[in-house]
Amino acid sequence: MKTEAPVTNGAHHSLDIQEQDLQPQERFEDELIMHLERDQFVAETSRPVPRAPLSTRAKAGLWALRVFVVLVSIMVIYTFIDQLH
Amino acid sequence: MASTEAAVAPGLAPPPLTEEDTARSQDRSRVHHARRHSKRWYLMWLLVGPGILAMLGENDGPSMIAYAADGAQYGLGFFVPFIPVLFAMAFVCQEMCMRVGAVTHRGYGELVLQRYGRVWGWFGATDLTLTNLVTLVAEFISIRVGLAYFHLSAGVAVALGLALVAFTLSGGRYWRWERIVLGMALFNGLFLVAAILVKPHVGVIVSSLDFTPFPGGSFNTLLLLLASTIGATVTPWMIFFQQSASADKGMTPRDVKHGRYDTAVGAALAAIFGVGALIAGAALLVGGHQVISGIQGFAGAGFPEALKHVAGGAVGTVFALGLIEAGAVAILTISASTAYAAGECIGVAHSFNSSPRNALVFYAANAGIALLAAVVILIPGAPLLSIALNANVLATVLLPVSLVFMVMLANDKGLMGKWANKRSTNAIGITVIAFVGLCGAAYGIDSFLQTVHLIGS
Repeated sequence: MKTEAPVTNGAHHSLDIQEQDLQPQERFEDELIMHLERDQFVAETSRPVPRAPLSTRAKAGLWALRVFVVLVSIMVIYTFIDQLH
Repeated sequence: MASTEAAVAPGLAPPPLTEEDTARSQDRSRVHHARRHSKRWYLMWLLVGPGILAMLGENDGPSMIAYAADGAQYGLGFFVPFIPVLFAMAFVCQEMCMRVGAVTHRGYGELVLQRYGRVWGWFGATDLTLTNLVTLVAEFISIRVGLAYFHLSAGVAVALGLALVAFTLSGGRYWRWERIVLGMALFNGLFLVAAILVKPHVGVIVSSLDFTPFPGGSFNTLLLLLASTIGATVTPWMIFFQQSASADKGMTPRDVKHGRYDTAVGAALAAIFGVGALIAGAALLVGGHQVISGIQGFAGAGFPEALKHVAGGAVGTVFALGLIEAGAVAILTISASTAYAAGECIGVAHSFNSSPRNALVFYAANAGIALLAAVVILIPGAPLLSIALNANVLATVLLPVSLVFMVMLANDKGLMGKWANKRSTNAIGITVIAFVGLCGAAYGIDSFLQTVHLIGS
């Protein structure tokens, strides 16, 4: 979502522009914009969310689970290779 | 993040529109229209998709073969109630994915990477790519098994799978991709047709609802059964897929209720069709004995051929067509989950609503992983049977880490606001993680100890 070039110039519509003054293309874009939530736009979702603070305990728990899963995966793959013979 | 605004607030300058925004907004305009005019069924029709696709995509070739093999080896007892219980577990996990996707408008891979660090994001993506590649090989084998029944070669299976990927990617719209795959996925019901055609005794099915008789055999066989059956219902790709697809579809917090219906309907259909494959497979077990011994589910025409001999040509044909459908749909959904993960972790465009020119990594990863799996099944002498049988087990072993991050994201008040998990959801989620982790680890450790002869079989 980040590298995509905007289709429009990103023309911002000020409130003082009257509905009848809008060109058909602009009106079409405005109608489309009305159907999306602000944080749904590519421009918004391209902004990274802030990092969540993880406690030392949580980090240790995640690393323990990660190491355990890798070890068990190695066991499964070893068994799989052994069965081939 | 957890916004409940219906649209861009008046007075605020809207961000620049991309082609992805335009396409998604057109889909959303129909949702708004249906909601405004209280067209309940039309609204439901517009909002279903990711849940049904995740669940029926997981009723893939290896899963249906695994269910049929369970039926052929152990009969209906235990598995008839066990399969729905597993899909209930899958519902709990997938509902969280849908909710996080709808509230944050972001995929699982990118949220883990941004919220908890690049290391965890890339670990998840690596796990996903590994299990997806192995599973995709099994999907192509499944299509090959189905086509072998009609005397068609492995080359046709590869061509069919890749042609489908190319066709579904050609539209440049999420809506088009979703509807095509959804239409194909409904043919998963062929397994229910196969079950009806074998004319099972309703009394036997009802009496098996008390989880008896428990499957016999060695402790390791039982663990393998549990691990492979769990791997047939909840897998890492489903987590990546449903969250990313919900965001790509443009779902919002207002759609969470319909997202739950979508996921529940998917789980119910998948359980019914899975039990259908089990019942069809059980036709090969008469009087407690497997009437055709040595069926190799992934060798030659395997199950369809065996069913043809026991229950008639119609059952064999329907089962073979079911395997082709199951493999084809899974190729599309699993490739999509890989593409979402690749785009999200690299930080480039990752949407079916973007054109290939603007989302090169997304489209290349989608087609590339399918192509790689297709090449593997054409290698002469490749251990296809072993790969297919171990695909579900590997997915089960790697699943707990993905589930833990899923629960963490769904509990993140900063992201989810009032849509964060309730205590009851957490209790069920943690139980599911513990159960999946225990079964996968127990099988992995027990098999390894037997292989290195530290314990007897």
